[in-house]
Amino acid sequence: MIRYLKLTGWLLAAIVLQMTLMPRYLLDPFQPNLMLIAVVYLGLKLPHRLAGFAAFSLGLLQDSFSGIYLGLHAFSYLCIYTLLSQLADRLYTDNRALFVLVVFLATLVCALLNLVMLLIFSVSNGLYASLLPALIPQALVNALIASLVFSVPLPAGEEAR
Amino acid sequence: MIKLLVRHKRLLITALFLLTVFLTYAMNLRNKEHANPLERGVMTLTAPVAGGAAAASGTLDSLWSNYVDLLEVRRENVALRKSVQRLNERIVSGNEAVMANARLKALLDLKGTLDAPSLAVSVIGEDSSAWFKTLVVDRGSADGLSEGMPVLAAGGIVGRLVKVAPHSARVLLLTDHASAIAALVQRSRARGVVRGAGGVRCSMEFTVKDDDVKVGDAVVSSGIGGVFPKGLPIGEVTMVKKGEYGVFQTIEVRPAVNITNLEEMLVLFRQPND
Repeated sequence: MIRYLKLTGWLLAAIVLQMTLMPRYLLDPFQPNLMLIAVVYLGLKLPHRLAGFAAFSLGLLQDSFSGIYLGLHAFSYLCIYTLLSQLADRLYTDNRALFVLVVFLATLVCALLNLVMLLIFSVSNGLYASLLPALIPQALVNALIASLVFSVPLPAGEEAR
Repeated sequence: MIKLLVRHKRLLITALFLLTVFLTYAMNLRNKEHANPLERGVMTLTAPVAGGAAAASGTLDSLWSNYVDLLEVRRENVALRKSVQRLNERIVSGNEAVMANARLKALLDLKGTLDAPSLAVSVIGEDSSAWFKTLVVDRGSADGLSEGMPVLAAGGIVGRLVKVAPHSARVLLLTDHASAIAALVQRSRARGVVRGAGGVRCSMEFTVKDDDVKVGDAVVSSGIGGVFPKGLPIGEVTMVKKGEYGVFQTIEVRPAVNITNLEEMLVLFRQPND
């Protein structure tokens, strides 16, 4: 129980940080997406049935604070969480390099999912022109932050993994 | 006699010693201004010692006074540092007040030029995503705001309100990909739609090739669509490209408002042509 409370505390801190301080002090492509890192962490290390709900909620929260499309990030985060939770059994999830690599790839996948969703269901023509140049820097920044996050003693997942 | 002398030997020696001292004193009375050999000898011998002692004493005095001074200087330094900090804070606060005053004055001037009632809002948050261009302001539906209301700054159009909460609202900036504003080129009256292009850029779409558009032309709102009043500055044409094919020309517009530094804005409650 305490483990989950600690994790909730970390998630709330990440949300507050991402919504308040980072947009003010960091330039656009170099703002790490802490929520996405949290989703990757949930997918790889915490295969709890509520973790999927948490990933979805994180996406909804991000949509509430960012952009105008409610459900966009909720969908992409849930997709990423589902994919990772299915793959987690076959991966050595205690490996730091793997975590960093997965965060990097998850950033790309999330961006592509969002782009597809926006292009299909909204009128945001030309969105890719501003999304694609920011994609690699954002993925690299996320990977960097993920490597730092991995060194923090976060609540661990099940030992069987 | 000898017995007498022996018996009073101690007394006699004392008296003789006293007499010698007295005579020495008496003999030196006449020569009191000059040093005798004994005095010279003693003075010669003691002078270096006295000098060394004086120097040591001076050094100690100096060290002590320097130490005391240093303590005082330290206290003074701490006090001065605090004072400098306070003054710096006042200077920064004063500069901030001057800049806020200039911004608010510009906003007030803008308010004076508008026919419609308006409400000043302050930016309290920015979008946390690199893709979307929105701002959060400190007023909401409790203050009479609703979705779709135009938002202006001193330079021109900023965007429009979307997602209004009781005490906050989101402003969709004109540079967001989802933003579209009916516009016209002020000089030639060529019509088009200014759409956000991400970053700090916009593009003007649906302007036919035959229309006269040049770099540097001012782009203003056309009033079509009922969201923005007619004639509000949107930006300036920075690039015009007429391709070989197609009906429309490609026009890039730089927003009149620097959207990266927005702090206070006006929300229009209704259009003048309503």
